[in-house]
Amino acid sequence: MTIGRWLAPLLFVLALGAAAWRAPLVDAPAFVPPPAAKPSTLPAEFRAERLPAAAESAHAASLAQLADGRIAAAWFAGSREGAADVAIWFALLGKDGWSQPRAIANRQSTAGSTFSHVRKLGNPVLYVEGSWLHLWYVSVAIGGWAGSALNHSVSTDAGTNWSPARRLSTSPLANISTLARTPPLPLADGGLGLPVYHEFLAKHGEWLRLSPTGQVVDKVRMGHERASLQPAVVAFDERHALALLRDSGPGRGQIQVAGSDDGGQSWPAGPALPIPNSNSSVALLRLPSGRLLLASNGASGRSELQLWLSADQGKTWQASRTVESSPDGGAEFSYPALLLSRDGRIHLAYTWRRQGIKHAMFTEAWLDGDTP
Amino acid sequence: MNLVAAYGLLAQALVFGALVTLLPLGPLRQRAALAATTAALLAGIAPALHGVFGAPSLTLLQLAIWQLAGRDSLLPDFRPALGLLVFAGLFYGTALGWGPVDPYALGYQPWALLAALIPVAAALWWRRQEMALLILSVDLLAYAAGLFANLWDALLDPLLVLLALFVVGRQGIETLLARRRAARAH
Repeated sequence: MTIGRWLAPLLFVLALGAAAWRAPLVDAPAFVPPPAAKPSTLPAEFRAERLPAAAESAHAASLAQLADGRIAAAWFAGSREGAADVAIWFALLGKDGWSQPRAIANRQSTAGSTFSHVRKLGNPVLYVEGSWLHLWYVSVAIGGWAGSALNHSVSTDAGTNWSPARRLSTSPLANISTLARTPPLPLADGGLGLPVYHEFLAKHGEWLRLSPTGQVVDKVRMGHERASLQPAVVAFDERHALALLRDSGPGRGQIQVAGSDDGGQSWPAGPALPIPNSNSSVALLRLPSGRLLLASNGASGRSELQLWLSADQGKTWQASRTVESSPDGGAEFSYPALLLSRDGRIHLAYTWRRQGIKHAMFTEAWLDGDTP
Repeated sequence: MNLVAAYGLLAQALVFGALVTLLPLGPLRQRAALAATTAALLAGIAPALHGVFGAPSLTLLQLAIWQLAGRDSLLPDFRPALGLLVFAGLFYGTALGWGPVDPYALGYQPWALLAALIPVAAALWWRRQEMALLILSVDLLAYAAGLFANLWDALLDPLLVLLALFVVGRQGIETLLARRRAARAH
C-alpha cells in the first residue's frame, strides 16, 4: 500500500475544507430602495450641446455624477467602431462646460494590465460609489462583439488616474461574451448588481451580483421570449425591480421586459412593451416623482430618439418628447444614457450621428410641458 | 501586479511548452519545451492564448507540468477524454444559453458543487485513481487561494476540452482505419 493511497484523500479533505472556507457567504439579495417620491419643483428647462470630439467615430456614452457634483461621461471613440485605435474617452462637465476628452483606456493599457491580447474595445459603463468612480468596459481578443470580456477599473481621484484593469470571470468558455451597457444598482449588502448581457450562440440579459469588494458572487440569466440585449434596470423597493431590454430580433421588435420580485435572485420575462424597438439600446431612469423615464429609438429606428413616461412602474407608457430626429436616412441618434443629478435635473447622453456624443440636460417639468 | 492575470499568462506559456513536447522531437524534447515556453512569453504567444482561451484551469496546468517533467502525458486517456467531452457538451451548451439553467453560476457560491465533488473523489479513490484525486485536490486549493472567482474555472477550460476532442478524434480515426485494413485483409 503506497503513501499516495492515503495522502490523496487526506489532501482532498484538506482542500475541500479550504475551498469551503473561501467560498463567499452572501446575504439574501436585496436592492437599496430608492428615495421616497416627491414632485420636482424645478421649472421647465432644456439645454443640449455636443461634447468636444475625441475621434472621427464615437458611440455608447455612459454618465455618472461625481461626489463634487460634476457630471462625468465616458464613451468609446476611434477611426470607426471596432478599429484598433478605439479608446475609452472621458470628459467632465464643470462650471465652464465639458472638458477636453481624455483617453482613459486603450488596447495597449488593457492588454498590459490583463496580460492578454486585446484586439478592440467597446461599451464603457461609469458608476460612482462614494469617492470611487467605477469603469467597466468590454474588450475583444478575437472575433466580433460576441467575444467580449468585461474589464473593471477604478479611479479615486475623479477620473485622473485609474487602477489597472482587472478582467471579471463571467463565462466558462474562454471568459467571453459578457458585455455591459447600463449602470449597476446598489445592493443592500454594500455590493452592486450589474446588468450585463450575453450574445454568443444565444442573446439574453444577465444580472451579475458583485460583492462590496467587486468579486462576482452570482450570475442570473434573465428570462426572454426573444433575443434580447442590454438590460436597463430600476429598483422600486428592496425586492422589486424592472429591466427593459433591447430587442435583438429577428425582424422588427418591441422593448423586452424582465422583472424581479426577489431582490434580483430571479428575472422572469414579462410581456413586451407596446413600444417598437429595432435592435437599439434603451435607457431607463426613476424620476424624483417616482415616475419612470425611458429613452429609446421608436418606430423610425435610430434616426429618432424619443422619451416615454410611466406613472405605474412600467405597466403603461405615454410618449413624452422627441429629443432629436432627422429625415436623413443616415442619421443616427442612439445608445441613450440617463442620469438623475442630485439637483433633480435629468441628463441624457447619446450617440450623435456616430460623429460624437451629445448631452442634453432637462427637468421633469420640461417632460410634461408642451413647449419645444 | 495582477496576480490572477499573471497566473493566466504564465500558465498559458507552460501549456504551450507542453503542447510542443507532444511533437516527435526525440532527445530535443526538453530543450524544445524550454525554448517554446520562453518563446511563448517573449513572442506574444502566451498573451494571445490568454486573450483567446482565458486562464487555463489548474487541471490543465497540472497535466502540462506533468508532461513537461516527462512523467505523464498531457493528453488524457480515451475514456476520461470521452467523458469530459460529453460533460463539456452539456455544460457549455447550457452555460451559453441553451435552456433556462446556467450551471456555471453554481461555481460562484460553490457549496453544491463542493458537495457533488465528494462522491466524485470517493469514486476516484475507490478506483485507485490517486493521481486524478491529487489533481482535483490541487484544483480546490487553487480556488481556495483566490486564483479563480468561479470554481468551474479551476476544474476545466476549453483548451482541456479541445485536447479531449483531439484524443477522441484520433482514437476514432485509428479505429476507422483499423476496420478498413481488416476489411481489406478479408
